[in-house]
Amino acid sequence: MTRTDFSDELLMRFADGELDAATSAEIERAMEADDELVARVALFIETRHAAKTAMKPLLEEPLPADLEAAVERMVAEKLAARNAPGAAVLPFQRGGANDRRASRWLAPMAASLAAVVAGFGGYWLGLGTDPVPSGLLPLAVSSPALDAALVSVPSGEERQLPNSNQRFRAIATFRDSARALCREFELDSADRSTVVSVACRTGAEWRVAFAVVAPGDSGGYAPASSTETLDAYLSAIDAGPPLETAEEAKALRDLRGGT
Amino acid sequence: MSNTVKDVGERLIAFLPNLRRFAISISGSRDLADDLVQAACERALANAERFEPGSRFDAWMFRILRNLWIDHLRRQKTAGVQDDISERQDIAGPSGEREAEARLTLKTVTEAIADLPDEQREVLLLVCVEEFSYREAADVLDIPIGTVMSRLARARKNLAEAAGITETSARSQTMKGVN
Repeated sequence: MTRTDFSDELLMRFADGELDAATSAEIERAMEADDELVARVALFIETRHAAKTAMKPLLEEPLPADLEAAVERMVAEKLAARNAPGAAVLPFQRGGANDRRASRWLAPMAASLAAVVAGFGGYWLGLGTDPVPSGLLPLAVSSPALDAALVSVPSGEERQLPNSNQRFRAIATFRDSARALCREFELDSADRSTVVSVACRTGAEWRVAFAVVAPGDSGGYAPASSTETLDAYLSAIDAGPPLETAEEAKALRDLRGGT
Repeated sequence: MSNTVKDVGERLIAFLPNLRRFAISISGSRDLADDLVQAACERALANAERFEPGSRFDAWMFRILRNLWIDHLRRQKTAGVQDDISERQDIAGPSGEREAEARLTLKTVTEAIADLPDEQREVLLLVCVEEFSYREAADVLDIPIGTVMSRLARARKNLAEAAGITETSARSQTMKGVN
């Protein structure tokens, strides 16, 4: 004898796998002899499938560019703000393309960022009270000395900028998602503040796409918090892996006009 | 704690397509949806420390977004703003006189979902589209699990009727409705 008074809700739970084993078995037995019951269960299976299929295209739609950029910016800002003065330094973690910098970390150090300037496409979002060291201006690199260093100093090396008290340290060279050549570098000033920055080549000039100013006592090394912000930025712009030494040398040589 | 923040940031970006789909489905408008998604991300980041690492990130995000949507509806109501019908049609096209038309022409599944009452649509989305369990859906929506079941059953009966997925020929009709 089979029961035929199963409610819609019960059959739905059966179709969704949300029903206990005993009741499920009872329905299965009843379905063997009852085509109408099979159809009622099928309805719930089919509606689930139909809904899932119908909504799939929305998932595949490309995200509006400004929405994606706005959220990426928010995430980067959140990471930066978290490392505001007083915040503890985080264990240093990185992977993949950023492994190259691991060796720079001699010891965790108390970090405080005087200013965080996270730029997307060369757009400066905000600036603290401390002035950015000379030579680095919003948008374009105006110092000939810095410009020269950017096209000549291999990653891993540092150099005193001529006629200046700034020390330039090249960290890495990579291409952004638009294939523009970008250089990650640090600039130490006489007051011992360090700028962690990324400049990308646009036409005949370098444009600062990202910069974080780490103040005074960082001892010539950017604190971990500033590079976490940088990491967020690098992943946001989909930065390619760092160029190999030879690739970098060639890319820089090309910029200097093949000499 | 700090790693939670970083984790939330990364998962947020990866989750954007799903979050946007949910927002479009519940708001019925792409423009509104994008504002909602952005506001939800902002709120999630502001509360990132409160996200429990072992719990479902998608459930947490859907809940945040839905709460923002409810706030939005409340504000609209207070301000006396009418729900803009033309915006609703953004997703599924004109619905016209629902009752009368349903008998005359079958809707696509997408249209039929868009025409469901809000409370039925959100349950359908969570369970059938996002594959939440009844329990998980109940948690996101803050309703008893029994309510999830009754709304979900009604949603599916309505969907079947509007899109022509009938009990007697469920299989063949669904294929028509889907493609």
